Amino acid sequence: MAIQQADKLLKKHKDLHCAKVLKAIGMQRTGKQDEAFNLAQEVATLEPTDDNSLQALTILYREMHRPELVTKLYEAAVRKVPLSEEYHSHLFMAYARVGDYKKMQQAGMALYKIVPKNPYYFWSVMSLVMQAISAQDEKLAQTMFLPLAERMVEKMVKEEKIEAEAEVQLYFMILERLGKCVEALNMVRGPLGEKLTSELQSRENKCMMMYQRLQLWPECNALSYKLLLKNPDDWQFYLSYFDSLFHLMDMSWSPSEEGQHCVEGHVTTTVAEAVKFVVDRMAEEDKKDSRPLRGPYMACLELIHRLRQRGCPDDKELGDPLELMVQFFGKFGDKPCCITDLKIYLHLLPPEQHTQFRNRLEELVPLGEAGEDGFRFPGDTKALQRHLCVCQLSRALGLQHALDTEGKLSLIAQLKAHYHHGLRFRKSCLKTELQFSDMYCLMAAHVYIDLWTENGDENMLWQCLGLLEEGLSFSPSNAQFKLLLLLLFCRLGAFQPVVDLYSSLDAKHVQHDTIGYLLTRYAGSLGQFAAASQSCNFSLRFFHSNQKDTSEYIIQAYKYGAFEKIPEFIAFRTRLNQSLHFAQVRTERMLLDLYTEADITLSLEESVKAMGVCAEEEDIPWDNMRDNRDLTVLVSWDPKDRELTEEHRRLSLEEESVWLKVRSLTLRLLASLALLGHAPSPRNSDKTNENGVTTKSSTLQNLLSQLDQTLQTAARITEKQTKYPFLGPPSSRLASALSSGSCHCQASALRLSLTLQELETAGLDDSSELQSQICNTFKSIVVQLQEMLSRCKGEVLEMKDRRLKTQPSLLETLVFFLETVCVVLWVASYSANVLRPLKSSLQKKKKKKKDTCTPVVLCGFQEWTSGLQGVVTQALDHVKAQEAQLTTLKLAALTLEEGDQQTQECGFTRVAMDKVQSSYLGSLQELGDLLRKRADSLKSLKI
Amino acid sequence: MLTMTTLRAFTCDDLFKFNNMRTQAVLNFLLKYGIPFYLQYLAHWPEYFIVAEAPGGELMGYIMGKAEGSVAREEWHGHVTALSVAPEFRRLGLAAKLMEMLEEISERKGGFFVDLFVRVSNQVAVNMYKQLGYSVYRTVIEYYSASNGEPDEDAYDMRKALSRDTEKKSIIPLPHPVRPEDIE
Repeated sequence: MAIQQADKLLKKHKDLHCAKVLKAIGMQRTGKQDEAFNLAQEVATLEPTDDNSLQALTILYREMHRPELVTKLYEAAVRKVPLSEEYHSHLFMAYARVGDYKKMQQAGMALYKIVPKNPYYFWSVMSLVMQAISAQDEKLAQTMFLPLAERMVEKMVKEEKIEAEAEVQLYFMILERLGKCVEALNMVRGPLGEKLTSELQSRENKCMMMYQRLQLWPECNALSYKLLLKNPDDWQFYLSYFDSLFHLMDMSWSPSEEGQHCVEGHVTTTVAEAVKFVVDRMAEEDKKDSRPLRGPYMACLELIHRLRQRGCPDDKELGDPLELMVQFFGKFGDKPCCITDLKIYLHLLPPEQHTQFRNRLEELVPLGEAGEDGFRFPGDTKALQRHLCVCQLSRALGLQHALDTEGKLSLIAQLKAHYHHGLRFRKSCLKTELQFSDMYCLMAAHVYIDLWTENGDENMLWQCLGLLEEGLSFSPSNAQFKLLLLLLFCRLGAFQPVVDLYSSLDAKHVQHDTIGYLLTRYAGSLGQFAAASQSCNFSLRFFHSNQKDTSEYIIQAYKYGAFEKIPEFIAFRTRLNQSLHFAQVRTERMLLDLYTEADITLSLEESVKAMGVCAEEEDIPWDNMRDNRDLTVLVSWDPKDRELTEEHRRLSLEEESVWLKVRSLTLRLLASLALLGHAPSPRNSDKTNENGVTTKSSTLQNLLSQLDQTLQTAARITEKQTKYPFLGPPSSRLASALSSGSCHCQASALRLSLTLQELETAGLDDSSELQSQICNTFKSIVVQLQEMLSRCKGEVLEMKDRRLKTQPSLLETLVFFLETVCVVLWVASYSANVLRPLKSSLQKKKKKKKDTCTPVVLCGFQEWTSGLQGVVTQALDHVKAQEAQLTTLKLAALTLEEGDQQTQECGFTRVAMDKVQSSYLGSLQELGDLLRKRADSLKSLKI
Repeated sequence: MLTMTTLRAFTCDDLFKFNNMRTQAVLNFLLKYGIPFYLQYLAHWPEYFIVAEAPGGELMGYIMGKAEGSVAREEWHGHVTALSVAPEFRRLGLAAKLMEMLEEISERKGGFFVDLFVRVSNQVAVNMYKQLGYSVYRTVIEYYSASNGEPDEDAYDMRKALSRDTEKKSIIPLPHPVRPEDIE
């Protein structure tokens, strides 16, 4: 429609630029990219200067993702209309969109010369700062860009032309980056600093920052003191108050004779004084009738902690930590954050006090009379919160972990009773609202998991799943229930229920980066290929939109003078682009597509081309990888020695990166295999052919040796057998990939393609050694596949002694087997392509000479394909048998509990069991389908 | 008040910490807007975007606002766009503290009042704002569009006068409800 309208206009006015561009936009939006581009270029080369055409072209180029063309457009426009403020400003923004800081600096100055407005001048200054930030060479930043920026601002200061707060902010930014802290401090304290009014405490915060950088401890201490008197709840200033105090003590600082401490006022120099300060703050709070502040009480514990760290005996002055924490609980025990607060300081209690501490707290929890079952329950939500907090603290102290099996089971019974009792406190029936007692349910689930991981009693796991399903039925939006269910189903190898759980979390943008790993770690590995693709897409959609999102706001930040935000936005974009998870989903998604599609719907070569995989180029930022995963998203009240450590984080990133390297090399190897398979076109001259082939095979060679190295590193890593906390990061697929044998089998298959290439050049005559080498590899690959398949044998799910038993690792191994079969078959197909012409030329010769026998490699290939056919058939039989076994498994016959457990609870456990069973069945069906398709493609391997 | 918090400017990196909510009902309740929305506010009104952090590093909540309106017509004011506190850190007075900060910033900018929109059905929030000195200035019909099977819902436009509005003219309630297209 738009195109027609534009055409009508063009009939009347043949040279109406704007109409042409509008037509081009119409074409672009209807998928005629090339035509749109050509039409747009027609106009662009005329260098239009009318606003309509320029704006329309800008829109078009943006939609085409060609922002660099906009800069060309406005460069021409300002050349023709040199005094236009508007076009110059558009040019500046166009440069901003492509991040050309140098041009921005010039464009800003050019603007300022035409229209001497301050913002333009400072756009130019900011662009210098950006050149400094983005400079590869730090020296260049420090000796050229930043000093120049500083001089430019100084000039305005001298001429008293500084107008806006943003300009002062920028000046501060420059001085700070130059490390000129004294100058920055003087500036903030001086008349220019008076402009810093928008942000609250802006001057104080900036001074504090500079005091710390300059190690001006007296000033730092005195300012913290002052700010704490103003707000005794501002945690950051307690920290700087204590830090600076200890620095001052270490340097035996004392005030000068005149009694003047420092510009910021009174300085605390002794522990006694600090103790008094904190005690006074607490006394102030004690006096209040209602709503005392937590800050002073926490500060007291913090000070004890620090004094102990220094081996300073004065901590006694502040009191016994046990008493202080009991007191804290008395005041704040009914707040949900009490556990988070006290958990930080539990290490102040010696182990022998742990039970005593819990008992003292229990005395402060008002509970009703014991009922029939012997449990005493809270009468309102405040009492419930207190009771819950005691449970959380005893878990954090390790008291729950110390119980024996019997003890843990009765703890579970108690927690469940409190959970069910607490359901009565719900006020409304809103679906989004949580139950007050949900955390009891979650904790009982944690104790079940303790029992499962300690004793290997799978029954505990099933009951845990049942309990969580029950919890979710009462609180359908409890994210923690969903996350734990998701984790448990994944560990059980049941991916089917997981996608729905993840969708119902309704994760938003950045969350796909921070928690997407929970899903994608298991997506490809469990045989649910369709669901796996979907999972990768959740994340990919977000990452791809990020690029567009940011540049618009960088431009806005220039417009509004939010200069500090510009480097921040760019860092944000970079952080997402360099995300480990992004690289993982990108790679896995493409591998998935190849394993499920290539050579089934399209040839390998076409698939690789469609995906734009490039064998030569690396697109993963190995050296700057950002681990944005949130590894503590699952709530845990575990004691410190069971918590996730920095070392865990490091090891997890290490193994994920190595696994990613294996996968991305596999992908690139497949891409170069696809290129090899491309039959050399006879029309090309021999020379280019040869060159083409050499570069292709050297890429292959290079990638293979990288793969070898990576697999060696991988072996070293898996030797460590790192165990992470259960609620922490899952182990990568690295260890199971190696033990399944898939990595080495794939590597030898891919290496075979190199040898085959040699044969292609050598021909069939005089290559008997090469041929027997190839035949040996053929045989060895079949043996390796046989071995892999034997590792898949066993029952994924079975009933033993009326109990359900799972072996999810069998599924994972089966998936590795299938992936390897795919790789081997692609190599086999390449082999066939190499051998076919050799064979036919041989047959031509044969007609002349009758006595030649068939070369070994041709016989070997025949044996190989029938060998492969054999393995695949066996695998299919195995999958079919497993399916049949699973279908006949009647879970209903299972007795869930000895004794008289509530039937309702058993119902939820059965629901969970059914989900697992049906998910296993789904995985087997998908695996079977894919194997069958692969078996079909074997038929085309005749030579 | 009972916050014990570090209050500081919101940064993009905070977006990565939003899961760090211990007793969350809905995982994303702090992330309900798209990234462009956050970036727009950061680019335009960075001082109005404040985050509260607990001693353990957990995000407790945030407030996000802006300054807008005509000075000449005495409509220049601070607006509360979003105020969120993680469930775990509720009942600590944090929302009140964040509101106080936004009002202080609006005072400094010479605003006449601070305003905000709230669902008429959200009695808890309406009462909280009343306690903080806000009153209903007008009702905006079907301000919240339908979602998830819920019908359209009206909003209260609630206001609190700042010191510049000495006669508190800005908060005299309108006699009739208005439509969303009539508000600026």
